[in-house]
Amino acid sequence: MANLLFTEFLKLKRAKMMIISILGAAVAPFIVVVATYVHMKTKQPTEVILFEELFYQTNLYTVLVIGVPLYGVVTAFLFNREYTEDTLKNLLTLPVPRISFIISKILLLFIWITMLTLVSWGLTLLLGTLGQFEGLSFSLIGESFKQFFTGGLLLFVLSMPIIFITLVMKNYVPTIIFTIVITLINIMTANSEHRDLFPWAAAGDIANNTLLSTYPLQYSYIAIIFTSIIGFIATIVYFKKIDIH
Amino acid sequence: MTVIKTSNLTKIYGKQKSVDGLNMTVNQGEIYGFLGRNGAGKTTTIRMLLGLIKPTNGQIEIFGENFYKNQKEILRRIGSIVEVPGFYENLTGKENLLINAKIIGVHKKNAIEEALQIVGLQNETKKLVGQYSLGMKQRLGIARALLHHPELLILDEPTNGLDPISIKEMRRLIKSLAEERNITILISSHILSEIEQLVDRIGIIHKGKLLEEVTFDYLRKKNRKYIEFQVSNDNKATMLLEQRCNIFDYEVHDEGNIRIYSHFGQQAEINKLFVQNDIDVVKIAMSEDKLEDYFTRLVGGDTIG
Repeated sequence: MANLLFTEFLKLKRAKMMIISILGAAVAPFIVVVATYVHMKTKQPTEVILFEELFYQTNLYTVLVIGVPLYGVVTAFLFNREYTEDTLKNLLTLPVPRISFIISKILLLFIWITMLTLVSWGLTLLLGTLGQFEGLSFSLIGESFKQFFTGGLLLFVLSMPIIFITLVMKNYVPTIIFTIVITLINIMTANSEHRDLFPWAAAGDIANNTLLSTYPLQYSYIAIIFTSIIGFIATIVYFKKIDIH
Repeated sequence: MTVIKTSNLTKIYGKQKSVDGLNMTVNQGEIYGFLGRNGAGKTTTIRMLLGLIKPTNGQIEIFGENFYKNQKEILRRIGSIVEVPGFYENLTGKENLLINAKIIGVHKKNAIEEALQIVGLQNETKKLVGQYSLGMKQRLGIARALLHHPELLILDEPTNGLDPISIKEMRRLIKSLAEERNITILISSHILSEIEQLVDRIGIIHKGKLLEEVTFDYLRKKNRKYIEFQVSNDNKATMLLEQRCNIFDYEVHDEGNIRIYSHFGQQAEINKLFVQNDIDVVKIAMSEDKLEDYFTRLVGGDTIG
């Protein structure tokens, strides 16, 4: 597995997608911090907005709006490039079980999403410090890191159905459409008391500790776990059986 | 020893039989030409041999073992190119080979450099594969297939899209691999002339069925050009051919038919010789049979491809 993971990293050498995804992850912290700063400085009397609010807003936009399509594109890139570059027929004639190949890619996806989450969190911390926002403390750093990481982890877990769609459709477009639809549902259900039944919206609320009391919190976890497991099983079963043309 | 043996290998897509009860054998150390028109079922068969496609029916034995029971171990002993080889275009040739080396577990130092040297790409260390020509990619594909010193090389249309010089180079490379490394090679093509000078045995596939599997020498003999004489006394005629014309490459068939496989254009002189020696010549015919025509007749249509 270590060798497979090494090769997955090697494939990213000189790949523009890495820098594009970092730029994508930088959007939320940049917009949130800059917009908050401008708002704070232009409002009379001067409004005090705390660091905590920056972390909350950035994580909210990252998990609910930017994260799903961004991580979706990364997922599509990782899994679809073997089809577009026609390299799958080489990889699968090597003495490696198909499942190991998929697992190594899922591991890399986890590392990539974690890295992008760190970019988002770190940039919020950096820009917020430069903007001299108040209320920064070690406990806030720790708590915000936990919230960002939880958001990233849940979006990773929810990538399984996106992987399945990428493998079945063998194209970026359906994956991107799927993630845009998820994002739109996230936005449309933002004010709904039932939103926590929708796995991706529930992920946002879990990450930010804002789960509604409409349903028991187990319902949200079950929705996320069920979506992920179904996606994972479908991916494995499909990829093990599919003929490579 | 048989390296590849398929029994009743079948692949059905919907109502279409892409491969239909294929029984193929490839022997150790030989270059086996797998010939057929486009869409005949060559690539589907090769993909089944490599585990990329699962057969609907039938068995595959490679190195005497059931392929599906020992797939991992068998694949370790095979190198392959399936159609145009795919590479990560953002990497160099060496980096692309490193991916295979890591996955297969090639620990030998300089294994990549050696493989690149065999195909003449040892100096292209900085160039990204995205900047390679098709010929270079095919050669890199061969290097990748050879990286782990396979005993069996499966090449699916390796000359597709190459210019005539690259085809010639590829042919020379394949020949040298078989001779110097004693690798068994299965090579598919839809163009007879491309593999004619290369293979020991051929299998002809058409509409998913294996029509014929014979040695190339047999085919050449069967389809050689000849002058045919029908004479009244074939014993005397052959004696004259040998003693007076130094013709030894001939065959005597039924009813005084003599087929001469050399000395084309000298049929008038030979005829004169027979007549002067009181041999009646009933018929003189020139065979125009060539190998390409034979395949055309076998698979139908105007061309193989």
